[in-house]
Amino acid sequence: MPDTLSPQAFHILLALADRKPVHGYAIIQEVRRRTDGEISLTASTLYAAIKRMLDAGLIAETPATGETGGAPRRCYRITNAGLRLARADAERLARLVAFARDKRLLARRA
Amino acid sequence: MPRPWWVSAIARLYPREYRERLGDDLVDAMLACVARERRGGVWPLLTGVRLLVDALTTFLPGTVRSAPSTGDSLMQSLIADLRHAIRMLRRAPLFSVLIVATLALAIGANTAIFSVVDAVLLRSLPYAQPERLVTIYEGIGSTMTAGFSAPDLMAFRDRVRSYDGLAAFRNAEFELSGVDQPERIHVARISASLMDVLGVAPALGRAFTNAEDTGGQLVAILSNGFWQRKFGADPSIVGRSVSLDRRSYTVVGVMPAGFRFPSPGPQLNNVPADVYVPISFTRIELNGFGMMYNNSVIGRLHAGVTAEHADAEARTIATRIFDEVYPAGLRENGFPQLIATVTRMQEDIVGNVRRLLVVLLAAVGVLLLIACADIACLMLTRAAARAREMAIRTALGAGRAPVMRLVLVETGLLAALGGAAGLGLAWTLQRLFLTSISESVPRAEAATLDGRVVVFTALASIGAALVCGLLPAFESSRRQSSGMLKESGRASTASARERRIFGVLVATQFACAVVLLASGALLVRSFARLMATDPGFRGDRVIAASTSLPATGYPTAASIRSFYATLLERLGAVPGVTAAGAATDLPLTVRERRAFTVEHPPAGVDGSGTIANDWVTGHYFEALGARIIRGRALAPSDSQTSEAVVVINETLARQYFHGDEPVNRRVAWGGARNHGPWMRVVGVIGDIKQAGLAKPTEPQTWQPWAQVPDAAVANNPTGIFRSLQLVVRSSVPPTSLVPAIRAEVRRLDPALPITGVQTLEEVVGASAASQRFNATLLGAFAGVALLLAALGIGGVLAISVSRRTQEIGIRLALGARAGDVLGMVVRQGMTLVLGGLAIGLPAAYASTRVLRSLLFDVTAHDPVSFVAATAVLCAVALAACAAPALRASRVDPITALRND
Amino acid sequence: MNAPIPAHWFQILLSLADEDRHGLRIMNDVLERTNGQMKLWPGMLYRNLAKLAVDGLVVEIETPAGAESGGGRPRFYRITPAGRRACAAEAVRMAGFVEAARRKRLLKA
Repeated sequence: MPDTLSPQAFHILLALADRKPVHGYAIIQEVRRRTDGEISLTASTLYAAIKRMLDAGLIAETPATGETGGAPRRCYRITNAGLRLARADAERLARLVAFARDKRLLARRA
Repeated sequence: MPRPWWVSAIARLYPREYRERLGDDLVDAMLACVARERRGGVWPLLTGVRLLVDALTTFLPGTVRSAPSTGDSLMQSLIADLRHAIRMLRRAPLFSVLIVATLALAIGANTAIFSVVDAVLLRSLPYAQPERLVTIYEGIGSTMTAGFSAPDLMAFRDRVRSYDGLAAFRNAEFELSGVDQPERIHVARISASLMDVLGVAPALGRAFTNAEDTGGQLVAILSNGFWQRKFGADPSIVGRSVSLDRRSYTVVGVMPAGFRFPSPGPQLNNVPADVYVPISFTRIELNGFGMMYNNSVIGRLHAGVTAEHADAEARTIATRIFDEVYPAGLRENGFPQLIATVTRMQEDIVGNVRRLLVVLLAAVGVLLLIACADIACLMLTRAAARAREMAIRTALGAGRAPVMRLVLVETGLLAALGGAAGLGLAWTLQRLFLTSISESVPRAEAATLDGRVVVFTALASIGAALVCGLLPAFESSRRQSSGMLKESGRASTASARERRIFGVLVATQFACAVVLLASGALLVRSFARLMATDPGFRGDRVIAASTSLPATGYPTAASIRSFYATLLERLGAVPGVTAAGAATDLPLTVRERRAFTVEHPPAGVDGSGTIANDWVTGHYFEALGARIIRGRALAPSDSQTSEAVVVINETLARQYFHGDEPVNRRVAWGGARNHGPWMRVVGVIGDIKQAGLAKPTEPQTWQPWAQVPDAAVANNPTGIFRSLQLVVRSSVPPTSLVPAIRAEVRRLDPALPITGVQTLEEVVGASAASQRFNATLLGAFAGVALLLAALGIGGVLAISVSRRTQEIGIRLALGARAGDVLGMVVRQGMTLVLGGLAIGLPAAYASTRVLRSLLFDVTAHDPVSFVAATAVLCAVALAACAAPALRASRVDPITALRND
Repeated sequence: MNAPIPAHWFQILLSLADEDRHGLRIMNDVLERTNGQMKLWPGMLYRNLAKLAVDGLVVEIETPAGAESGGGRPRFYRITPAGRRACAAEAVRMAGFVEAARRKRLLKA
């Protein structure tokens, strides 16, 4: 098993990490906002990534809530497996940040 | 820190300013890497490879920033994949061993045959500048290509300008005397210029001089093998003497090992010699116009002269020779026009076997394809079991590429192991192959497993890896969720796609198999037809043996006649012998052709031509079991003093006498206006095959050996009248008579060897040897192909049945009978087979055309063979479908439905 | 805002953040900090250091007196202010992600 998530995967999982179902478009927006445009997913890239993560069991589809007509939009939520992976990666990042603080590159947290 | 040599060596790959700046730190860093990797369980050798790659890729642009955030490089990923692949394969040992073994066999067979193809067809001849070597043939009329007669050769040599050098050679058999067991050895009479033309030199001693070429001196050069066998590689052999045909020859040289000349392959003079003697044409030979066209001629073209130019020149010169040099008598007699042709020597040697070898290589390549399809099915099946692991990799990585890479690395590892094992196997297979063909396939003895062959094996392994692995790689990296997360019992779009892929693979296998089967069937049928051809004699219970009386022991015709007369009389008296006779040629060979003419031919028939002739003595026809159609056979009463008689064969009667009664008509040697004494036809014999079973019978006559003039018997330069083939018919198993025959010969002359002892059945079998070989080999390939394809379809159906257990259970529960389920599975399988046939039969139809030159009496599209091949294929396929179908029909519906 | 820098550059700069080091020590330091996940190889490491030097994020310095080494005089590397800024910027980016993860209860606060 490979050890780390790609940046794309990590941010998608992060966008779903609070366990609320999210639409695809909302994922794109949140990821773009959080990374200051560094990771800007197109719809096709996103849906390819989503399909792979569905296969891997990292996320799952949920029925959309509160439809008002028009085409049904797909919502996704994170699974336990996905949470575990995302958490592990986030912990790795947190350790790096702690190192940076120790070396006085960053100010200590209040 | 201890510093292994290879670490320093890799450090030296860095540019000098690096090494100067970094000093020991570089080496220490590398050692630290080795230690670090070893802690992680990686062998130092592997780490060394990575360090090497690291050193080399350091200087490539783009390696600095291109790494993804995890710091992976392509090399690191590949090595990680390789370790993962090794782990995976060790976890499934049966699977791995099966695949490696299959690949080893298939790749090994390919390598073995390629090594022969390489040695025979691709490598140039082992002579200096071999592309400039050509063979020159003479032709009489338009039908026969023969060697040069001695006077023609002299005239040719004086007139041509295209050659640096010309040389002639001719096979002969000499008696090796002065040893415990006298034997006959193969000898080549060669021009002194032969060594120069070929660009070779003796390993010991010297070549012949021009003086020896014409002077008739008794000098000899030994082949390396003969020198080792008979003289124990004695280094002081030069100057010693060897007794050939009871004359003492002085050894002047020994050829190097590996020199094998004449080469098998050409139609004439194609027996490798043990000893070489000067060609030394006798006066009779040099004046023999219009006869004895039996010398092979090779030449080295001037630099820049093409074979086509030399060929045009040769044709012109041949006409000039005929007009200027040939005796007027011959020309006016309607002697056919003289032609000369030039062929590249390599083409002359290997041209006849090229087709066969290429066909074999193609067939074994098709086998590899079928085997790879089997392996691809196996890997696809395993991929399904590992779908989840693959899916996670795909999600976490950058896409499909890492998964595809992993599958390809796995397949590559299997293929590499299979290829390496195959290379080892190829050595054995090559030996096997060579023992069965090296007699008849020229240059085959030079086949080795050298660099080129290893490269071929590597390419074959890579090709196999791609064919086996690309499809599973694609499939693994695109796993659909529905196919994987749902239960295995229910069909879905994913498994429908999978079924399609399996179907395509199996259909391809059967398409390939039918091509091989059709080819094999054609060759088998061809061989059967050949063996069923009536040779014109009854070959059961007949022994043949070859004798040759050397001039030294038998200088006069009287001594020769006395020997054979006594021998045949004594052989006739041996218990168990029903008839004994002798002839200058056995059936299925003919060496002597002559101009011939008929007295008062029927209207509109050209009464002259060239026909085959044989001289016989004793009760030859009776011993042979030939059919007498009209008149009588020759008998001992046809002696030197009685009337000159001949018997003819049916073909001659038909061609030259049409419907008329041939008996009592007169014929003669020579042309219509200038012929020898008349001879009376006393009988017509049923056709006996001359040039092998496959060729049509030529018109032929038989003359009494007793009626050959004494001078010819004693002095004919080819020795044809003092070398008779014994033919003995027995009432007991013929091999039991061999000791008696040998004993009688020994009684008359203890020093005389007797060779070629075989039954006539064996003679017939030998003439069909190549057809038998083709049929056996291609039939074996076809059988293996069918087996592999049967395994493929059996396996695929078994998987399909196990996946559809639930569906089958439902059907059975709903009232379907076991027979219906059986039929469903069989139909599924046979549909694939029919699909394969739909592609394969047209492909076979198109491709069997290449076999045409290998077939006898069978067209390339022979319907019987195609139907037989299809029938066998369908039968085997049905049998292969049977096991999974039976299993399906026995599914217990209750258990099946419960396993949801 | 600067563009993000590759992960291995970040690790190298982190190694040099509080101390000048030579190549071998950078390798070991990064290995330890990432729990054996990031393995630097000598050729790649020195090439990256050269590129970092060209970009002005590190400088090569002479071996300090008394520096321990296996023998010979390894080159040492020192982070520049620009390097420090780049490293800090990357750390800030990551801190933002970590914060987001905390907000979403992925990590305990």
